[in-house]
Amino acid sequence: MLITDLANAGSTPVLTEMLRFSGARQRLLVHNIANMDTPDFRPSDVSVSGFQGALRAAVERRRDAGGGEAGPMDRAASREVVRSGDRLNLSPKTSRGGVLYHDRNNRDVERMMQDLTENAMVYRTAADFLRRQGDVLKVAISQRV
Amino acid sequence: MYGLLDISTSGMIAQRARLTAITANVANRNSVEADGTPYRAKQVFFAAGDPSARTADGRKFGVHLAAVRDDPSPFNLRWDPSSPRAFKDGPQAGYVRETNVNPVVEQVNAIQATRAYEANVVAAETTKSMIQQALRLLS
Repeated sequence: MLITDLANAGSTPVLTEMLRFSGARQRLLVHNIANMDTPDFRPSDVSVSGFQGALRAAVERRRDAGGGEAGPMDRAASREVVRSGDRLNLSPKTSRGGVLYHDRNNRDVERMMQDLTENAMVYRTAADFLRRQGDVLKVAISQRV
Repeated sequence: MYGLLDISTSGMIAQRARLTAITANVANRNSVEADGTPYRAKQVFFAAGDPSARTADGRKFGVHLAAVRDDPSPFNLRWDPSSPRAFKDGPQAGYVRETNVNPVVEQVNAIQATRAYEANVVAAETTKSMIQQALRLLS
């Protein structure tokens, strides 16, 4: 019970969801980069703004329900991002735009590397915040004992 | 999360294989088979997915070397009637067949393969730092 409360305290569920999403999305981005020179390959990705919108709505609902300080958060499953257990299943969309090269691959190297960096930054930020929350917990526990 | 490194590694392996083919093409520019046929340039083809990966993520995602084929383009001809390999008669009499390796194309491909390899290295580095961040959460 205590552990569940801790896992749902403050911004922890939001940060956990951010970690899950950027961790799962990293797989797609790395896959796109690995297939940079594969004929007929089209990079695929999920909509970040779509996920953020669903997360924002979930945060609003949680705030309405319990003031936002505690309580579980349930993000509505979208067509692209579905949660199964502890993992997120992503159904990415294949990109149709951009320049189609002679090998029928419409890679956009700059965009791919930018997405990779942004995704890693989001992951790092969420991990940093979570770690700080853990530190606060540690301090609280050490003051009690 | 560890499967992600498999994906980047498959990209690096594929690009290295491509660079090997390019190096072989450049090195064999003047090679001739025993029957007098000049060396044909090798072309490398990739396909998505990596059947040899150890993790499920790696098998589903990633890239692998699907085929190495001979470049079907015609051989170059060089005027050299004194060569023992020159055509003795016909419309190409006096000409010698030479490899269809184009050094300029090979150089461009080598640069592209190197850059793609580097992109995979950067992706692996980024993934590595993310794994480290996640592990530091536990400390």
